Amino acid sequence: MRDKGRFARLFLPLGAYLVVTLVPFYWMLVFAFRPTGSTALVPWPATLDHFRTVWTDLGFAVFFRNSAIVALGTLVVVCVLGLMGGYALARFAFRGRRAFLLALLCSQFVPGAMVLIPLFLVFKATHLLNSLQGLVIADSAAQLPLAVILMSGFVRGIPVDLEEAAMVDGCGRLRAFFAVVLPQLRPALVAVGSFAFIGSWNNFLFALMFSGRQDKFTLPVGLSYTLGEFTVDFGALAAGGMVAAVPVVLVFAVIQRFLVQGLTAGAVKG
Amino acid sequence: MSRATTIAVILACVLGLAGCGGGDADGKVTITFWDNNGGPGRTPVFQHLIAEFERAEPDIHVEYVGIPSSSVQQKYDTAIAGGATPDVGGVTTSYLSDLVGQDALAPLDDRLAGSPLRDKLLPSLVDDVRQAGGDHKLYELPSSANLDVIWYRKDWFAQAGLQPPSTWDELLADAARLTDRSANRYGYTVRGGAGSVFQLLSEAYSYSGQPSFFGADGTSTTAAPGNVDLVRRVAALYGKATPAADVNNGYTQMVAEFTGGSVAMMHHNLGSSGDLLKALGPDKVGAIPLPVGPSGKRTVVPNPTDGFAVFKAGEHQDAAWKFVQFLLSKDSNSYWNQQVGQIPANTDVYADAWLRADQPVEMALGVLRAKDTVLATAPFALPRFSPITKADSEPRYQKVLLGTLSANDFLHGLADELTAAERDWRSHKG
Amino acid sequence: MSRARWTPYVLIAPTVLLMAVFVVYPVGSVAYYSLQHYDVTRSWANGFAGLDNFRQMLLHDPLFWQSLGFSARWVVVEVGLQLLLGLGLALIVNETFVGRGLARALVFSPWAVSGVLTTGIWILLYNPSTGVFQQLAAAGIGSPGTSVLGDPATVFPATVVAELWRGVPFFAILLLADLQGIPPDLYEAASVDGATRWQRFRMVTLPHLRDAIVLSTLLRAVWEFNNVDLLYTLTGGGPADQTTTLPLYVARKAVDAHDFGYGSALTTAGFVVLLFFSVLYLRLSKFDRR
Repeated sequence: MRDKGRFARLFLPLGAYLVVTLVPFYWMLVFAFRPTGSTALVPWPATLDHFRTVWTDLGFAVFFRNSAIVALGTLVVVCVLGLMGGYALARFAFRGRRAFLLALLCSQFVPGAMVLIPLFLVFKATHLLNSLQGLVIADSAAQLPLAVILMSGFVRGIPVDLEEAAMVDGCGRLRAFFAVVLPQLRPALVAVGSFAFIGSWNNFLFALMFSGRQDKFTLPVGLSYTLGEFTVDFGALAAGGMVAAVPVVLVFAVIQRFLVQGLTAGAVKG
Repeated sequence: MSRATTIAVILACVLGLAGCGGGDADGKVTITFWDNNGGPGRTPVFQHLIAEFERAEPDIHVEYVGIPSSSVQQKYDTAIAGGATPDVGGVTTSYLSDLVGQDALAPLDDRLAGSPLRDKLLPSLVDDVRQAGGDHKLYELPSSANLDVIWYRKDWFAQAGLQPPSTWDELLADAARLTDRSANRYGYTVRGGAGSVFQLLSEAYSYSGQPSFFGADGTSTTAAPGNVDLVRRVAALYGKATPAADVNNGYTQMVAEFTGGSVAMMHHNLGSSGDLLKALGPDKVGAIPLPVGPSGKRTVVPNPTDGFAVFKAGEHQDAAWKFVQFLLSKDSNSYWNQQVGQIPANTDVYADAWLRADQPVEMALGVLRAKDTVLATAPFALPRFSPITKADSEPRYQKVLLGTLSANDFLHGLADELTAAERDWRSHKG
Repeated sequence: MSRARWTPYVLIAPTVLLMAVFVVYPVGSVAYYSLQHYDVTRSWANGFAGLDNFRQMLLHDPLFWQSLGFSARWVVVEVGLQLLLGLGLALIVNETFVGRGLARALVFSPWAVSGVLTTGIWILLYNPSTGVFQQLAAAGIGSPGTSVLGDPATVFPATVVAELWRGVPFFAILLLADLQGIPPDLYEAASVDGATRWQRFRMVTLPHLRDAIVLSTLLRAVWEFNNVDLLYTLTGGGPADQTTTLPLYVARKAVDAHDFGYGSALTTAGFVVLLFFSVLYLRLSKFDRR
């Protein structure tokens, strides 16, 4: 009986969802591995031609490295600054708090394409063009509002009395934060960090516009090479897409365990 | 205190990470080259040519930057506004006047006059480029001509015992005959999405035989009766002899349909030959010129002309010119066009053997050079031409396909807009 | 909540600095251009426009209103469905079962796929020649030549599904993380009181997730409002402008048609609409009071 309930409640909806989710991945797989011109429904006989195209001809090795550097840099900056800002929003009443919150939201209201030229001028004035650091800063500025706002929600969810108790025990606020708050924010950091990472990993516009050098481009620029003015190489697009997505999914598969707090939390269920 | 230190350290880490790329210590000149259509088909070709150039000119280093074609205009506009243009850029006549209007390009007339290339470039292309710039100066050296063609499935035509069509009547009849909807096979594919109207206009002019886009008084010829006829007839095919998905088709979707084996004929240009031949093979796919209309005259609206421009702000314009000249020399131009399947601009290449063997390119070159071909060049110099025919008209053409707007009203609306823009422009320029 | 003089300002200082440099000036420039005629294709007419652009937009541009309406529909449907599916999935993968780690990774995997590829894949999936409907038709389900993007009746659900595919993981990840903050004893107490699973969800889980849901729906709504890549590539706003959102219209005007002044006015309008609804939403949810 109990198993039947679990099946209907968990595995049926999960299975249905995964089937739909995996169809696009299957198409990606088929196009990445089957030769150009084949209309086979299975990626067999498999070819590595498309991977060679993206890795060798298009220089994905460099793009991959750049993407990794920029996305990791963004992750670190956004997590640290997001933690600070989110904690401030959640734990302090200060003048300008609501204005700050609103300004964070407002920063998301304008599409990137509309602010390219002024942003470009800012980058030029600060000597951040053509550099990966510049991209880290641009991507951080883009991802930070989301991180601060989400983080403030997470901090708010942690009972303040725990922290106060630690402070009564003689810890400073900073020590109380590291001892009490931070450990509880592990799931939040994983979530916010992965949003920042992915946001940067997939940011096409900044990567293309703020660099005028081939060796500073990132994966999304490389991917869009496959869609030419008159030509389109779906095989290379799919192969390049796998190069870009698979490592990220694998890393996430490893760190997803940190999204959940530990054994006790894992055992709690409705 | 410790908190402030932490913040300072973080900011220092973020902002302070070391500086920018180095200069040239050994007296070598570095020029930057932007490829306006970077990708697997072109990047390796350019890299090969750059290596050759650097061997011939050891004091010049060319830095290649591939720009994805969908964003190239945005990239140029941003770079111009920000004062960070390349030395040499791949450009095409469809946005040449934009770049000229922003005063970004150096005129090349004098340089060409003193160059061995002087009388090597196909005159009609040089004319195109001069016209497209807007002030009759030469801002782009053409590298290739690109022509619209009908790609067709040789094997399907043979099976049905049909010859490829030479008139629009034949094409439309063949499209109906080759359609078998139960087998998901269609005779033709209509481009209804991105890029639709430019392609539609080249069909319309090839049918009506109108020799130019504007009359002498600046009146648009777009709504000429023959043009209306053609648009009506093509729209009537939609959904019957074409996939219903076509209403949103850009070239991406058309090519996917064609190489996926569900359409017999597709109007695109030489640019897709690499993809099509690779996917289907030369036995299954061939190219014919756009058919002619009732008059039997051949009128061709050439595709935008690809070429290279030297940017005004560059510090090394002499080196930049050397590179452009190299790219257009017989050997480079031959290699380049052979690899990408387009018509070479350097006339010396026309004797090359590969050209004889490349059916689509040879056919297109024949059309372009035939004495009785009329070239109805699109008015790329008119700054509003592209906004009107793209942003404003493409959604309206979809209404024609879906049957909520008549071909006549559509073309008259378009003609009125073009006429107004042309007159407005004429009264303000120079 | 604590009151301290400078601590919070120090904490938000780096964020404020980044925002000031990378947001305030660029956004200000959009506001400036919205009051200008600025069109490189009609450079002779450039100059101060006063409220011309806004007058044109509000009084003479049906596509502005139409695209704004479609944006609203798009955002409500997308965010609503993403939230429901994301919440359901978060609850499921929060359970203990064999293969849970794998299930989580798979649930989240579309999130890792970049925009260029997402749109490329959905183009292929929906293409009548290379797509999934052709395979279904070959298997006897549906008819050949089905075109979900070309048919005005199906284009909306088709684009919604494609966007859902990559949007659901956002809510799933976020809500799963937030579920971890629920003290186990609350569930135990509820169970002791004889609460059913549904009651426990309503009395314990939902109240705890409330803040996260308020924030994430708001942020996601803003993101969905402004994001253009999927619709731009899949439908280009078509057929016949039926899927044209306001930002897609902005891109067409400001980028494709080079009318940056008018595009800026449209952007400003979007900004005002978003600001109004964000403030209203935060008020109604009483989020900013606490």
